[in-house]
Amino acid sequence: MKTEQRQAIEELVYRSCLALDAGEYTTFLDLCDTDFRYTISTYSPEIRRDMVWLDHDRKGMETLFSNLPKHNSDHSPLTRHATVYTVDLAGQAANVVSALQVFRTQLDGGATELFAVGRFHDTVNLDGASPKLARRLVKLETRLLGYGYHIPF
Amino acid sequence: MAKSAAEWNAAPRFPATHYVDSRVYTDQTIFEEEKEKLFRPSWIIACHESELAQAYDYRLFTHPAGVPLIVIRGDDAKVRAFYNICPHRGNTILYDPAGNAKRMTCIFHQWSFDARGNCIDITRAEQGYQDRFCKEDAAMREVKCEVGYGGFAWVNLTDDCPSLREFIGPALDILEPYMQQPMELFHYHKAYVRTNFKLWHDTNSEFYHDFIHYFNRITGMLQPGYYDRKYTAFPNGHATVGSMQIQYDKYEGSKERAVGWPGMARGGWYMVDIFPGMTYNLRTSVLRIDTTIPLGPNELLIEFRGLGLKSDTPEERAERVFDHNMIWGPFGRNLHEDLLGVHGQGRAMRRGTDSRWVLQGREENSTIHDEVGMRHYYAEWSRRMGRPAYDPYREGEAESVRAAA
Repeated sequence: MKTEQRQAIEELVYRSCLALDAGEYTTFLDLCDTDFRYTISTYSPEIRRDMVWLDHDRKGMETLFSNLPKHNSDHSPLTRHATVYTVDLAGQAANVVSALQVFRTQLDGGATELFAVGRFHDTVNLDGASPKLARRLVKLETRLLGYGYHIPF
Repeated sequence: MAKSAAEWNAAPRFPATHYVDSRVYTDQTIFEEEKEKLFRPSWIIACHESELAQAYDYRLFTHPAGVPLIVIRGDDAKVRAFYNICPHRGNTILYDPAGNAKRMTCIFHQWSFDARGNCIDITRAEQGYQDRFCKEDAAMREVKCEVGYGGFAWVNLTDDCPSLREFIGPALDILEPYMQQPMELFHYHKAYVRTNFKLWHDTNSEFYHDFIHYFNRITGMLQPGYYDRKYTAFPNGHATVGSMQIQYDKYEGSKERAVGWPGMARGGWYMVDIFPGMTYNLRTSVLRIDTTIPLGPNELLIEFRGLGLKSDTPEERAERVFDHNMIWGPFGRNLHEDLLGVHGQGRAMRRGTDSRWVLQGREENSTIHDEVGMRHYYAEWSRRMGRPAYDPYREGEAESVRAAA
């Protein structure tokens, strides 16, 4: 893999975090392919099962974002910190694993707390002019999320 | 006209049954009493039988009264519950929240117990205890456990409690027709919120707060039949809410719940609140169970379970999971709003804020925005606590006595 290609893939992951942090959902979706799918899953040691907590195609994500203003939500901003661990080429795609930490900052006083940890398991399409997210699986380690959140990680 | 301090503190102009003194949500003494008088003698849902599918499968549960429990299926398929406390030196016996343990061994000194609570091994017993103490003296503490009402394992800490059936009474009759098929758990998560447990149960006991939910307004409140839903109160503080047809497809991104539930009308939705802090919530395709575990007057852990049918095909199960997550998952539209609501109450009612009263005065012929569900709960709360919820320290009585004198 060329260094430039790896850099472009890493930048895609990081730009996806920046876009979601900023609430720029159109920008985030522009980083995603037309057949994009987004899933949040986690394993529960309590019930010894894998669980899916969110699963949407691109249209579902668009709707989720467009419905947000109609809902009552926590407005504390999130900061997503990703570190790309591995990039494995698979034909015209790449499988990318990144560490993820999500921090939440209180609006009043600005205290920041670790909100969640997990990993991105991304599939990136490389057959276009720029790499695009085809699949994002967020595998969460953290399962205690307090009063939750309306915006995906 | 905004209120002065005196007006703010004056009792609301409702009958005393129609408001609650905010201090019942913040006082440490009342909280400790609640654990003893409400939770310890009540039947509490510890887990579902599908979490204990095989012999020796176990599940840990922290009882709301504070006691750590092991719920385990024996070799005879019977589900039993025991303290997760070693009778030797008071150590934790099992650490992982779930697993399979033919032999439960305390890691501290390797005392072992079977799934019926018998002690089956005391290391170097004869050398240390001679004939003064033996395995028969070292059994685990068993608590009452019954499986029922949809296959849930209920526990009760008291020896002389009424049966589960007596405790529930007719409250779950409304759901019995829909709990005839074996169910299976597919979702479990906990939420920690700085609020009082009763405030969560209140939220499950009134639908006036549907105003917080865009999803419920668009799929329910604006649809025919919404204001016909009625509350029914039952002995022991339980209450139910009748059904209507929810129009799921009215919310963009949602859709009609095709998978449904056997025997239930399309789009149906029943809720049953079980005193002192559990809720059955059957919403068309998914059964949600809430179990509140209070950690302090203003600290709450809620266990959320989502269940489908054991007979589900993978496609049906995926539909149920989608339906569940749309509103009830940790990223769902409604659960976050409900939890924000009680988090806000916890903020406003914590000690020292001068929150004074909680009004429960809506009367609408027991229909959906009537607050009779909460009033019924606090009538039972007052009876069991020996304190009126509107005047938990009987200050009003003292004042009236002083006035009479």
